[in-house]
Amino acid sequence: MLGFSNRSLTNFLFWATQKKWFLITMLVGAILYLLPTPSGLTLEGYRIIIIVITAFMMIITEPIPLPGVAIYILVMEVVLGIGSPEEISKSFMNDAVFFIMGSLMLAVAIVQQGWDKRIALGIIRLTGNKTKNIVFGFTAISAIMSSFIGEHTVAAIMLPIAMTLIKFTSEDGEKVHGLSAVLLFSIAYGCLIGSIGTPSGGGRNVIIMSYLQDINISISYLNWMILVYPLVLILIPIVSWILVKSFSPEYDRLDTGVRKLVVQVAKSPELTGRNTLAVFIFFLVFLGWVFLSETLGLGIIALAGVLMYLIAGFVKWEDISRNTHWGVIILFGSTISLGANIKGTGAAFWLANKVIYVFGSLMEMFPFFTDTIIVIMTTTMANVLSSSATVAVLGPITMNMGTDSLHLGMVTALASAFGFFTVVAAPACTIIYSSGLVTAKEFLKAGWRVGITCIVLLITYTNTYWMVFK
Amino acid sequence: MKILIAIGSKEFSKPTLRTGLKVAKAFRASTTIVDVGEKIGKFNAKIIGLAHERMESWEFDRPGVDVLEWAFQYLADNEYIEPNTIEAGFPKNTLVETGSNRAEVYLKGTVCKDVNLILRNGDIISELRDEVHTGRYDVTIIGGSQKRRMAHDLIQYIDSSIFIVNQLISAQTYRILLAVDDSSGTKKAIKYGARVAQAFDIGVDILTVSKNETFRDGYRNAAERAAKFMRRAGIDCKNMYKVGDPATVIKEESGNDHIIVMGASTRNPLAKFFKGSKPLKVMEECKCPILIVK
Repeated sequence: MLGFSNRSLTNFLFWATQKKWFLITMLVGAILYLLPTPSGLTLEGYRIIIIVITAFMMIITEPIPLPGVAIYILVMEVVLGIGSPEEISKSFMNDAVFFIMGSLMLAVAIVQQGWDKRIALGIIRLTGNKTKNIVFGFTAISAIMSSFIGEHTVAAIMLPIAMTLIKFTSEDGEKVHGLSAVLLFSIAYGCLIGSIGTPSGGGRNVIIMSYLQDINISISYLNWMILVYPLVLILIPIVSWILVKSFSPEYDRLDTGVRKLVVQVAKSPELTGRNTLAVFIFFLVFLGWVFLSETLGLGIIALAGVLMYLIAGFVKWEDISRNTHWGVIILFGSTISLGANIKGTGAAFWLANKVIYVFGSLMEMFPFFTDTIIVIMTTTMANVLSSSATVAVLGPITMNMGTDSLHLGMVTALASAFGFFTVVAAPACTIIYSSGLVTAKEFLKAGWRVGITCIVLLITYTNTYWMVFK
Repeated sequence: MKILIAIGSKEFSKPTLRTGLKVAKAFRASTTIVDVGEKIGKFNAKIIGLAHERMESWEFDRPGVDVLEWAFQYLADNEYIEPNTIEAGFPKNTLVETGSNRAEVYLKGTVCKDVNLILRNGDIISELRDEVHTGRYDVTIIGGSQKRRMAHDLIQYIDSSIFIVNQLISAQTYRILLAVDDSSGTKKAIKYGARVAQAFDIGVDILTVSKNETFRDGYRNAAERAAKFMRRAGIDCKNMYKVGDPATVIKEESGNDHIIVMGASTRNPLAKFFKGSKPLKVMEECKCPILIVK
């Protein structure tokens, strides 16, 4: 046919099948491009919305590699006249991108320090052998650590500890399925709720902080903690209780598992000066975040930590380079560029007004209704996209949905952490799923209970406790 | 001859592995057993790699290694690999990363040529297509799937013969149902049919289906050639001439006690994509194992 061999036709059909979502996305983009610009919206504003829709379709369906989506965003921003190449390249990079880069690099450095065995021993000493207490311990430790270290690092550290307890309780996976689920979900959900506690808990928090700085509103590391950490402490026991109720672990006590875990840890080498120094370096990073972040920025401090680990020789650059997903960094940069241009072209204001137009009367009648809309919108998007991409794009819109940008921005950042429902919502969820011990359905089983509880508590919390500070 | 056996889990893949190795033995083929694990989004691939490194430091295997270990045990129990390899146990430490989503281990075979075990992650059709393309396999053996899309994609995109081990019960006695016609694929289908019949030590029913009462010369010649081939190979066979829609007749004749062997469609890929093909229809309608020879 037209000189094409059967093989090349098959190759083309295979390509078209694999890339069908890319082709559908391009078709949607072309149709939107040909439609007239909605009234009240600038041409650039309309075009940036088209880029957002098409890029998000590709992030969800992944027909091309994600760095490809990032490049698509940047190319289209220039081609569609959203900004000059210089303007677009400037909008690509800010402290939030540095933070995400530093955070991914720190993960590599920290994971290699072998803290997991010490942490395992610490948890067991605190909780004893009762399953319920261990679940609480896992949730609490994961939450507290992920407030400072980054959820993916914590999940990677905690996963083998949980697996040891599971394996040594019973080798037969069927007999410990409930136990596996409850322990692994306590790690993932603990990481998620803990990541809202401090600005360094996740890239999404830093993105909102940088958006706030753009409109001359600043919030310090400690103030963020004062505002948010009580919620984390409230959520820890509630989430662990829901998990135990949802999965009904087969064993009330994990005597054998705990005993074997202690033996396993005892076999590991003694704590060395190098280990202590590695902890000390991270402590310096933490102090930097608390006291210097307003002047130096969270990203620069995270990168300074990486630099210290490199100078001390605790991690090799080759390991950092091999284990850091550079494509993810490019993608975050491009979504931040999208966010900046949504704001710059007036699209954010226009979209916010549309939401107010639809729900305005309810927003006036019930003060908490704006928060409710933001939380539902953000949580939904964060569960199908990445949380940082959600915040990067939604942040400029939600911050225009009322007068208190700080309140609205922070609600957006906090709600974006509630990726309880899907495997892909958060790195911690994907990590526990990759163990092969939990199924995708179980994310819904526990997720809807934990998710609804967190949403209700967040809205209540922000409309009561935060009011005290106003 | 190179054979690729795709397995998925310890619970459901035993018939596929057993059948695949029997066929591989008959062909004295170089055999690869591949487990394609679930696709994990590239977004978190590096982070998951980091988590799996930690798991390995606690002496936990990453998902999929247990499936390969189970396959190794099956090979060992049935002496498909050399005694010193069996004695050394599953060589987990020689599972070499040979790509971002691929790791493999080499074993020295006995009745088959070399036996390789491969672990891949991703979309099953893409991974099998890539494996078949790079390894130049002649036959891919895989378990049955309820998904119509899967059957379509296997036939359309995998560039080797496909053996779908659909509900193959070890206690049951089967016969080969060899569908022949005047297409170019029939010649190879006859050869493969004979080999499979020898592997399972069973007879062959040669089926010729015409849409009308007149059987063209090409059809009769193909049936006679097949019968001659079988007799020469010492395989019990009988010829059947039926009238009707080929897929329907094949379904009726195969029942639950036949392994269907037929040539791949000679339609061009676009026609196959939009209109389907005889093998696809047979695959969708029949409950028994089926070998589509390309």
